[in-house]
Amino acid sequence: MAENQDRPDGVANTDRRALMLGIAGASTVLTIKPALAQSTGSVLNCQIPVPDPGRTGMYIAADGMTVAANTPGSFPPAMRPFTGEQVKRALRGNTLPGTTYQQSQAYLNYIRRLQAGQSGFTCFASLQMPGR
Amino acid sequence: MTLACGPVTFRIGSDWAAPIKALDALYSDYPKPQSTIPHFTVRLEATRWWRRWIAPSIAISGDFRLPEVAPLALGMGLLAAEMAMNLQVALGDRRFLLIHAASVEKDGKALILTGESGSGKSTLAAMLALKGWRFIGDEFALIEPATGLIYPFPRPTSLKNDAIAAILALAPADRFGPLLRDTPKGDLRHLVPPSDAIARMHEPARPTLLLYPRFGAKAAVRDVGKAENFVRLTQASTNYVALGETGFQALTRFVSDVPAIAVDYPDSATAIRTVNRLWKALG
Amino acid sequence: MMLRYAAPPPGACLRDEAEGLTLLYHRASGQTHILIEPAPHILDALADAPMTEGELLATLAAAFEVNQAEAVGERLAELVAAGLVSTS
Repeated sequence: MAENQDRPDGVANTDRRALMLGIAGASTVLTIKPALAQSTGSVLNCQIPVPDPGRTGMYIAADGMTVAANTPGSFPPAMRPFTGEQVKRALRGNTLPGTTYQQSQAYLNYIRRLQAGQSGFTCFASLQMPGR
Repeated sequence: MTLACGPVTFRIGSDWAAPIKALDALYSDYPKPQSTIPHFTVRLEATRWWRRWIAPSIAISGDFRLPEVAPLALGMGLLAAEMAMNLQVALGDRRFLLIHAASVEKDGKALILTGESGSGKSTLAAMLALKGWRFIGDEFALIEPATGLIYPFPRPTSLKNDAIAAILALAPADRFGPLLRDTPKGDLRHLVPPSDAIARMHEPARPTLLLYPRFGAKAAVRDVGKAENFVRLTQASTNYVALGETGFQALTRFVSDVPAIAVDYPDSATAIRTVNRLWKALG
Repeated sequence: MMLRYAAPPPGACLRDEAEGLTLLYHRASGQTHILIEPAPHILDALADAPMTEGELLATLAAAFEVNQAEAVGERLAELVAAGLVSTS
């Protein structure tokens, strides 16, 4: 600690401790990086089938409920599951890939109605977490 | 089928009957799930439709998947199911802070063993569970954020290669699953937890000591400081980041409350002695 | 035009101390950082109002005996890179 010789009032600085701003070859901030399995890429790796396998063959009504195949005004099942990333973007205003606007809205309504135990529920829930 | 372990219920679907039969046998000592609404869904699927019958190959699926996981032959259906369950919990659970660790309990206090594959934590926990400790879990430690308590998740332990023989010497043969040869991790056999551990799988415990075991090194013991412990656990947790603020508070509380010690050991007898000594020293 | 540096206001971060290091959770970004001196003191100083480098040094000097003041730019750059300090 350097002696303080040049303070005009001559008051001893024994009650202020030193703060070193220089640091040799290191950084003062370490940011925690997520370990592999928990990286935000895991959202990309989660999928939501529309509808879930328990309802194979059922169609999706505009409000997201599953209905009998070919019910007027309803949409056929999605060809393949959507990824978490696709659904996240769709919730922000894009359409789900390979769908018309209305079809996308119907699918999103279905996804919003997912309950615990249905395929895709934990994926959808993970999209709601803060920091995503 | 559905199966329940601790606070988690799984629904397992499969394109083949054999893995379901094997799971039924492995979990025969576990009580049936109280709720039919599963937390996680796991599917064992043929990689192509014709793979159901020709050179059957299992792709694990569910809400979460890792595309780079190679499919497994049908003979390893049990391994596929266990891996799939681990994956869904690791990536999907939000109720608990998950740490990749094995754990055992004595007198309401939990000893948690964390480290990389090959550190010996699974084998050590399995041995302690056969020497008077209650088995809490092998793959994940479930820490409840609000209370800091650890909730049991006593799935069967995956024993690999040399560890299989070591534990066969200690546990009755009927506690073991089938021998799976030439898996991606070598020879593998599942050890079913003692009946008492299964019966008490809803009883939480207070984490009291965290160990970083390292097998195959000269015996040494070293305190791990709070900051180092915190950073290492963020890497050992599968959901620290996803839990956000809750994760930070749960983990800072954990590293403040639970002492951490790194233990290097040349053999399991030394490890067990060291564990008992360190545990006694806590008072 | 002097660059002004700003830090998150009190309450925007959660903190814990460990062996002289600061564990910090930044709510807005969901990120966790480990800070060593002088970073936590710089954040504290900047929390009330944006400041230039010179104003920051003066604020720190009122509370501490500041050494190697010329390194303040590097320290600020690290905090900016981590998303904890913003510039305007």
